[in-house]
Amino acid sequence: MNINISRSRIKAFAAVKFFVVTLLLSGFAFSATHTIVMTAEYVANGQPAYKMISHTSSEGATLDYPVEAVIPGPTLFVKEGDVVNIELTNNTQMHVGFFVPALSGLSGNQLAPGQSGNFQFNATKVGTHVYGDEGSHLTGLFGALIVDRQDGRVQSLIEGDGTLRSVNQSDLKKEYVMFMVGSTFWGAEIVNGKQRPLWTNPTLGALLNDAVRFHILAIGHAHTFHLHAHRWPDETGFEALGVEPHIIDAKILDFPFDSHVFTVRAGTGVGTGFWQYHCHLVSHMESGMVGKFHVVDPGTGATGDSIAGASPNGKIWPNLLDGEPGLVTFEITDEPGSFFRSIRSNDIKGATISPALEIIPPGGSVHFIMSDTNAVHTITSLLWPSDANDPLLGDHRQIPMDQTKAYRGGGIVTLDTPGLYVFTCKIHPYMFGAVIVDDPNTGGLDLGKKIDIVTGINNLPTISDLATRLLRTFFVATVQGNWQDVTSSKPWRVKYPNVNVAIGDLQGNLVDNLPLKDVLESRYGQDVKLADLFNPATPGVGEVWINTQFEKTAGKTKPGTITVLDAATWKIKRKIALPQINMNHPHNMWTNRDQSIIFQTQWFDTKLTFIDRATGALLHNIHLGDTPSHVMTIPQSDVITVAINGENGVIGIRPGEIEPYVMMPTQHPGQVPANPHGHWVSPDGKIITPNINTSDTGFYDSNTGEIIARPAAGGNFPAGPHPIAIGVGVDKVYTANLLDHSLSVYDLNGNPLSRINLLADYDPIAPTGDTTLQDRDGDGLVTVGVLPIQTPVDPTGRVVVTANTGGTITIVDTSIDKVVAMLPCDPGCHGVNFGAKSGGGYYAYVTSKFSNQLIVVDPDPNGDGNFSDAIIAGRIALVAGGDVPSDDKVVSLAGTGGQGVLAIPNVYNGWVQNLPAEWRDGLTPAQLSPVQ
Amino acid sequence: MAKKISQAFFSSSVYLPQKWPGNSLIRQRQLQSGFARILSCALLFLLAGSAQAQELHKIEFAAEKIEGGYFAYRMRQHLVSDLSGGNAVDVTSRYPDGPTIPGPTIVIREGDEVELTLYHQFDPESPAHEHVSVHVHGVHYDIESDGTLEYINHFKDESAIPVMSYKYRWIAAPGTAGTWPYHDHNMLTHNGAEDRGLYGAVIVNPASNTTVMSSGGSRQTVSLDTVTKDYVLYLFDDTFAGTEIDRATGRQSYGGANPPLTAQKNTNVRFHLIALGTNFHRFELPGYSWPEPGTDQLVSAKTLGPIEKYVFTVNATQSSSYQDTALNNLLLGMRGAFLVSE
Repeated sequence: MNINISRSRIKAFAAVKFFVVTLLLSGFAFSATHTIVMTAEYVANGQPAYKMISHTSSEGATLDYPVEAVIPGPTLFVKEGDVVNIELTNNTQMHVGFFVPALSGLSGNQLAPGQSGNFQFNATKVGTHVYGDEGSHLTGLFGALIVDRQDGRVQSLIEGDGTLRSVNQSDLKKEYVMFMVGSTFWGAEIVNGKQRPLWTNPTLGALLNDAVRFHILAIGHAHTFHLHAHRWPDETGFEALGVEPHIIDAKILDFPFDSHVFTVRAGTGVGTGFWQYHCHLVSHMESGMVGKFHVVDPGTGATGDSIAGASPNGKIWPNLLDGEPGLVTFEITDEPGSFFRSIRSNDIKGATISPALEIIPPGGSVHFIMSDTNAVHTITSLLWPSDANDPLLGDHRQIPMDQTKAYRGGGIVTLDTPGLYVFTCKIHPYMFGAVIVDDPNTGGLDLGKKIDIVTGINNLPTISDLATRLLRTFFVATVQGNWQDVTSSKPWRVKYPNVNVAIGDLQGNLVDNLPLKDVLESRYGQDVKLADLFNPATPGVGEVWINTQFEKTAGKTKPGTITVLDAATWKIKRKIALPQINMNHPHNMWTNRDQSIIFQTQWFDTKLTFIDRATGALLHNIHLGDTPSHVMTIPQSDVITVAINGENGVIGIRPGEIEPYVMMPTQHPGQVPANPHGHWVSPDGKIITPNINTSDTGFYDSNTGEIIARPAAGGNFPAGPHPIAIGVGVDKVYTANLLDHSLSVYDLNGNPLSRINLLADYDPIAPTGDTTLQDRDGDGLVTVGVLPIQTPVDPTGRVVVTANTGGTITIVDTSIDKVVAMLPCDPGCHGVNFGAKSGGGYYAYVTSKFSNQLIVVDPDPNGDGNFSDAIIAGRIALVAGGDVPSDDKVVSLAGTGGQGVLAIPNVYNGWVQNLPAEWRDGLTPAQLSPVQ
Repeated sequence: MAKKISQAFFSSSVYLPQKWPGNSLIRQRQLQSGFARILSCALLFLLAGSAQAQELHKIEFAAEKIEGGYFAYRMRQHLVSDLSGGNAVDVTSRYPDGPTIPGPTIVIREGDEVELTLYHQFDPESPAHEHVSVHVHGVHYDIESDGTLEYINHFKDESAIPVMSYKYRWIAAPGTAGTWPYHDHNMLTHNGAEDRGLYGAVIVNPASNTTVMSSGGSRQTVSLDTVTKDYVLYLFDDTFAGTEIDRATGRQSYGGANPPLTAQKNTNVRFHLIALGTNFHRFELPGYSWPEPGTDQLVSAKTLGPIEKYVFTVNATQSSSYQDTALNNLLLGMRGAFLVSE
């Protein structure tokens, strides 16, 4: 209602008048006026927090507040009808406001860094309300405003004998304030007029039979709060209504701001013990959203004191030795590379280089908060020190960290074992966050002697090629400045932290004080000259649409554009950013039969976007579900199918419609969600999905939705092959297994035929050297495909071209299902699709995330059906000049993030036959009828 | 092709798993001999007639592993006696013979006590060493019956393991009337396998033996004796699961995913909703409204988060379909028939 920055006398007068009117209306004779002076500060780990400077009330005594900035912010106790005047000074580097959504709705008032302002409101509504800063509240600027009745009566409790007991505030021994934020509880307690921060997931202490009040608040994401072995009346106003109370032990806290308050008698009817409290969303439990309510018997001399959890003011690098257990915070974002962004990354980047790297001592905690993303994610251990999940040496309940189902929230985990931990998202597996748990007794930063990898690789020495290659990949993937710019004349330089590390040799000994930069540069080179750009000599047919998914433009906060290339001239025709919908990570495209509409998924969002192909104009932007990944039509019907990567099915949309009519489940009811990513539709109308969460390839009847088969994918590393993309030939299906470094081959009914191991010529264990890559499978070739992604089969069904994130393109001849050639690719090599080559044959268009060029592969330059002579036919920069038509201005990461790619006309078998005449004209008879 | 898709996809029976326990795995228990059955029914009737008699329920559960990546509880035995254990009546025939998803519904009354013994029976050939437990909501129990692991309760691992069963004791003390979920708390990620099939419900009927229902648009308190059916419906992340209980006989039937519920027209029926998993839900039953607990309102929709429970009673006047209208849940097929016959 009345929150504003009021500096003028007129406004102050208005506030006084309002106060008087409210007094008269409310009939309360003793309303107080509060003057609360607070600041917004940064706490030690970089999170913003409110700090109480002073609180004076016209009624006298106020609480004894913490002297430091705290999360949650100071709890403000007022009475119904009181007038509250907040004087806030912003000591942070960002704009900060103060709003109480339950009383006022959202307020746009923001204080610039260094500015002070007043916010006034009237406490009209009894209850516990969130206050906070609208823009940054998930990272720390939140607190509780508790508006109690003038008569002091609070929520009733139910006794162990079933009696409903009225409670006055003076009866309460403790009040707990517990914010549910992400997957973490942020707590405070108020005891005898003294307020104390309890930080993260505290152990709340109470004496048996003490009356205590819980204020549960939630912001940003929805939760359900549950406390073991206690029950309480739901706050529904039942007393005034004279109806029976609703007795509950769990309560939803709904998006975006909610609260729930209840009073219990500690241990009533159940006795003493450590009673768990937690969020009851399975994914939130799995990401650490748990704590304990410790009820003790006063007769034993126990004090019932609460125990604070890890603190953002505690020990973290570079202060590893002194203080309470500390906490670092990663924001989960949609920002390319900084998908896990340390909230203090600007302060420590000089040392860490990567915004996604943090350093803590053993016993420190890592906190994740999905504060800047529109997608669902998981927070999943990719690798960890081998001892960390050893039942005798580490904590297998904490590490590896994983969740069954993608979700919105966050995570929190305590890491005790020194070494390197890397976290990823299973849905978006190039999101990386790394934590070094550094033993203060070693000289260098501890990478640990050995690591385990989620795929099932155990005890890998950190001096091995695979370990350092993964580390290098981390620094390439997470540092935007490390991405290749093919338009620059400078060689490609990868920046690494200038630090010493302690790593494990092949014998299991720790080698201390190795300079990390020297190790990586000597193994993987530095200042590499990038290959020259050149156009393919033979033109392509039509257009090539490329999702330059990381390219940033001025008119929107989310990244990603579509770059449209004219295949006849190899010039960029258009850039499409769609600022009007803040298009977020355009990932994959397909088109309708007459090639007039481009269907575009937004992979870090919930939408499918329809774009007019000829003009680039937005047609529709429809909500589909969490994290739509790939889109493809069913050739027989032109029905649009979209894999809902963050959920458990494939959505169908009829041609000409913009509402989905069905979601085909990818698993039986109640089974683990499959989380399908890059599906394909077979010529006989089957939907075939790579099921990333369940390690299989799903074959579904698109007529009935029936699950035909779900054969296992991969086999090199059965623990986590991560099937991610499908290619379908004439009679065979190819699944690319990202973490298995393999292609699984099936017939069209899902019967496994073979597996193509793309890692056969690679030695992961030995330190990098001349024999790291050599012909080990005896085929006379040295080929390697690390982290394969998109893997289409050409329209004739004879050749598979696979983009491998590790920086190679592998070519498989489907007549023998073996790799027959390997071509170089850029870091983050990702997308492939085929388009028609003018005069006959096909090009494979290949994109890379961490560069800004399109690589054009000609798999069969001489048209002899032998693919061992595949070549790179062209390299085309995806950076647009100023003359290229665009709906927005490119501001950074020009042309980078290449992922989905689609050639128009769509010449795949099954689709090419349905092309309208205008598009058929440019194709040869063989291209029009690709399968002979 | 497209035409067929639309029809077929929405007909949920097409893609229901054949192996979903409710569909084929469950065979109804053989009825006891006629005489025993009549006797036990008669005894039950007598017990039910004396509203104040507190009962002890001695229950044996097995936790089993079933095909498709699911786990399930199976009722091995349910004996009802007086609190001292005398006059025991075996009511096991109320339940299906095999493991069920959802698990058996335990129907008791305010004042009753339960001793539940859990047996770990995943795979006799190659026993998994995973812990499994029963953690119950709502009723009273001491820390030994929390069903959690020692690292949570600082007391002990309250689990059944392959070589040892575990006994839980609950007291449905005054004030605990309601419908409460129970579920595993110890398997897999040590947060429980409730989302993989190990869940069920305890109905604690109030000592007052009444319920509030809507009738002709107004609230009315009626005797529970007028309620003919209890439907326990679980709102999962992608499906409803449920149990239909005939209150006259106590017999429980399990209909698989999105099960059809049946009622006779103009009889009173009680819905018990429990959400589970990670998603949020919005429950609707078009054509019906019901009393919102703790208020004087009638409502026709309810938003539920995981592990929340919600109970309402209506008079069955017309067929409808219960459904979850949140997000993609309805698109995914989260609805089932409520069939009211003349």
